[in-house]
Amino acid sequence: MTINRGDTLIKVQGLHKIFGELHALSGISEEIHKGEVVVIVGPSGSGKSTFLRSLNLLEEPSEGQVIFEGEDITDKKVDINKHRQKMGMVFQHFNLFPHKTILQNITLAPIKLLKRSKDDAEKRAMELLRLVGLEEKADAYPSQLSGGQKQRIAIVRSLAMDPEVMLFDEPTSALDPEMVGEVLELMKQLARDGMTMVVVTHEMGFAKEVATRVIFMDEGQIKEQGEPEEFFGNPKDERLKEFLSKIL
Amino acid sequence: MFQELQDKFVNNFITDDRWKYIADGLVTTLQVTFFAVIIGIVLGFFVAVVRSTYDKTGKLRLLNALCKLYLTVIRGTPVVVQLLIIYFVIFGSARDISKVAVAVMAFGFNSGAYVAEIFRSGIMSVDSGQFEAGRSLGFNYVQTMRYIIMPQAFKNVLPALCNEFIVLLKETSVSGYIALQDLTKGGDIIRSRTYDALMPLLAVAVIYLLMVIVFTKLVNILERRLRSSDH
Repeated sequence: MTINRGDTLIKVQGLHKIFGELHALSGISEEIHKGEVVVIVGPSGSGKSTFLRSLNLLEEPSEGQVIFEGEDITDKKVDINKHRQKMGMVFQHFNLFPHKTILQNITLAPIKLLKRSKDDAEKRAMELLRLVGLEEKADAYPSQLSGGQKQRIAIVRSLAMDPEVMLFDEPTSALDPEMVGEVLELMKQLARDGMTMVVVTHEMGFAKEVATRVIFMDEGQIKEQGEPEEFFGNPKDERLKEFLSKIL
Repeated sequence: MFQELQDKFVNNFITDDRWKYIADGLVTTLQVTFFAVIIGIVLGFFVAVVRSTYDKTGKLRLLNALCKLYLTVIRGTPVVVQLLIIYFVIFGSARDISKVAVAVMAFGFNSGAYVAEIFRSGIMSVDSGQFEAGRSLGFNYVQTMRYIIMPQAFKNVLPALCNEFIVLLKETSVSGYIALQDLTKGGDIIRSRTYDALMPLLAVAVIYLLMVIVFTKLVNILERRLRSSDH
């Protein structure tokens, strides 16, 4: 059922995550290929966020491997920080750095981690800000921005590291309804430009329109997946049918 | 009435250059406070980092246990007792040790415990999403702390930290227990010479008050500067 599009970027093998009594992930094996836009849906508590956060090891798996660009990053000897630089992450609550200006938010990691000069990093940041139409906010602080603007800046901050893949953890869930559109529009643009994306979201419209593959998770497992047309048009799993009937 | 006040003033401060007790005492108080604050910050910062690293990652178990012991002992005993123990027990056989050094050690060591808990509460008050955002960009634990968590934590705890230093400044007034002539002791010596309690003690109180007011003003300015990011 997996649709191949280029090389394997992330490979997950037998992933388990246990929080005390809770078995959040029970044995997930999956591959993310270059250029794919994978949308993960599922009821709350299904483990979809935990799965996403396991990909860059923000959540350390209890068992199993995550292989990124051919290297097992769950291996303790691997410098996870190097790999995380290539895996951008966007959070539900933006998590911009409130004590830094927008420009500093974007340039902090490139300057400190990629050792770019301040000038280069700022030039690149301004390019990205122009791309999202927020260049006049460069010297503003996060608290002066609307939710939608904050999230677009958060995306830009990740993009400034030139990541191989972008992970989105419910990027529009904390937004007022009128601001969802601007964030989704930017994500669509990224997808069109060929960015590999893994997106946990409740925006079924986005999944239908942009996803190359939709994954349904429930009870810590992948229950069904497929191209959007097949996934939404002809679901097979009973839980998925129930889920879609509630949400659509 | 006015003549009487003037006589008292002259008797308390001018005769025999008694004002020097106050002036020298003030210098001693400032010295002790200044160096104790530095020790307190360094020690408190270190303890807070150890404690919150343990809370966040489970590492540094042994150091964390030591820090907890330090906090319990220091916060569970009076500072005067600590001062006396350091002077008469720890340095009991070293009679030539400088009393200022002992006071700096005692108050710095004491303040470190309170500063540690202030810093720790500051670190804990920064939203965990900030930490995750830092790590997800590829910063390691130390870099995330340095560039992202600490600047925010420091801003959050500045009022509490300022309060701790005011407390410390006033707390040094018990230095007289080891016969160190600080500001309070200076005033008290004048009282014992002139048998007039009002003037010297009032002078001492006013000097403490002025120092606290000036210090509070300075901190307010700093706070306003740091607050420029939350419009």
